[in-house]
Amino acid sequence: MNITPQLLGIFTDIYGSYDAMNIQRALLIALVGFITVIVVLACIALFIKFIAFIFAVIEKKNEKKVSTVITPIEHHSSPAQTSDVTLPETESQGELELIGVDEPTAAILMALVSYKTNIPLNRLAFRSIKLVEDE
Amino acid sequence: MELITNLLAGLWESSGFALLTWQNLVMIGVAVVFLFLAIAKKFEPLLLVPIAFGILLANLPGSGVMDDVTLSQAFGGDGSLAGNGHWYESGVLRIIYAGVKSSIFPCLIFLGVGAMTDFGPLLSNPISLLLGAAAQLGIYVAFIIAILLGFTPQEAASISIIGGADGPTAIWLTGKLASHLLAPIALAAYSYMALIPLIQPPIMKILTTKKEREVKMTQLRKVSKTEKIVFPVIVLVLIALILPSVVPLLGMLMLGNLFRECGVVERLSDTAQNAMNNIVVILLGVTVGATANGESFLKVQTLGIVALGLTAFVFSTIGGVLLGKLLYVITKGKINPLIGAAGVSAVPMAARVAQNEGRKYNPTNFLLMHAMGPNVAGVIGSAVAAGFLLLMFQN
Repeated sequence: MNITPQLLGIFTDIYGSYDAMNIQRALLIALVGFITVIVVLACIALFIKFIAFIFAVIEKKNEKKVSTVITPIEHHSSPAQTSDVTLPETESQGELELIGVDEPTAAILMALVSYKTNIPLNRLAFRSIKLVEDE
Repeated sequence: MELITNLLAGLWESSGFALLTWQNLVMIGVAVVFLFLAIAKKFEPLLLVPIAFGILLANLPGSGVMDDVTLSQAFGGDGSLAGNGHWYESGVLRIIYAGVKSSIFPCLIFLGVGAMTDFGPLLSNPISLLLGAAAQLGIYVAFIIAILLGFTPQEAASISIIGGADGPTAIWLTGKLASHLLAPIALAAYSYMALIPLIQPPIMKILTTKKEREVKMTQLRKVSKTEKIVFPVIVLVLIALILPSVVPLLGMLMLGNLFRECGVVERLSDTAQNAMNNIVVILLGVTVGATANGESFLKVQTLGIVALGLTAFVFSTIGGVLLGKLLYVITKGKINPLIGAAGVSAVPMAARVAQNEGRKYNPTNFLLMHAMGPNVAGVIGSAVAAGFLLLMFQN
């Protein structure tokens, strides 16, 4: 049977017994303990910053890809303001031209494009949605 | 006639009245007060009702719910128990109490807490982690004072963890280091958590200026789903490599959080958050309460623990608010120092207190989500602090 090696009880390892505890050692332990908590959580904070940076880079790359994919059919929809100005999620602006498409269908199409491209609706602008007949 | 007299005498001797001690009576009174606070005043009722009822059960003389028949037994050479009784002949709450002693219950509670916790505010504002760390100050202040008062290092460590404002962590550490103090420590921890809306606001007011309390914080960035999924896995590995002793608690916390965030095990997440968590809270609450037996609980030492617990709580709040003030200066007024007080775990009460205090001074202020960052960071921070103390003092 495997048992995890004993990593516990550092104080007695160093000082022999708990009788050796005095105020100076208590202060030292408290200080080291507090610093340990700060260092561990600071490491996690740095790690989160790192992850956020990586994801921001990946997101930017994805946005570029999406913009190149969507550009050829710009008359149907186009990625919009990837610029600094991002609308609140509940708001939209500009005008949309619907050609042979009713509003509920257009809403579904816009939601689908947003979902498939992973671009939130408040960052997508649709200029026109046109029904294309099968040839 | 003699038969009737003997019969009545026998009935009297076997009744609770004959066995009742003044300590039992006091503890029954304590249980009634706790029930009143929980039911009438709604102070942490989900925890206080089972705890109070556990106290009541344990102090009903002759009930035997916490009897331990294995106490006088020893293991024989072949590993079997030598003695008259079997473990299953112990009191029913004593058997359930094995879940506390073995750390199963605190760890399962952490699983539920993880499944209920949204780390989004923390991920969008990582500086919250520092506030969560600073708010562990009370643990170390209380540790030093406890040593000065003559508690053993293990007892001092167990008492000081009350400052983490995290019930399961306090129970977990005390169960390992000083299980004889489990009842007063658990009761102090949960009582102070319930009293956070009374303890923290005066400290927050004293330490901050009106201008600081009025600070409106900017909206948090949106955190992607992938970040939320990656976070529990990587953080667990990172902390486990630094402090392996904390893995039982944080491992379960992060597992619960992964259930929540991965989106493919909704049933497990739901069970961890609700059914399982509720069952464990009942079992943990009743059995922890049942350890508060009058004879062992009513000591001067208990008053010392209660006072030290309050000291730890106060200094933890001070630590969080002071770092909040420092960050206010460093960020040129972008951080409201009140959210530092939420760095003591007590999710989500401490965050709610920060929100309420913020709105008192600026009704348009909405600090809740900003305070949730330090609040959940405090859960990690107190677990790390407990892991460190265990590493130092485990026998």
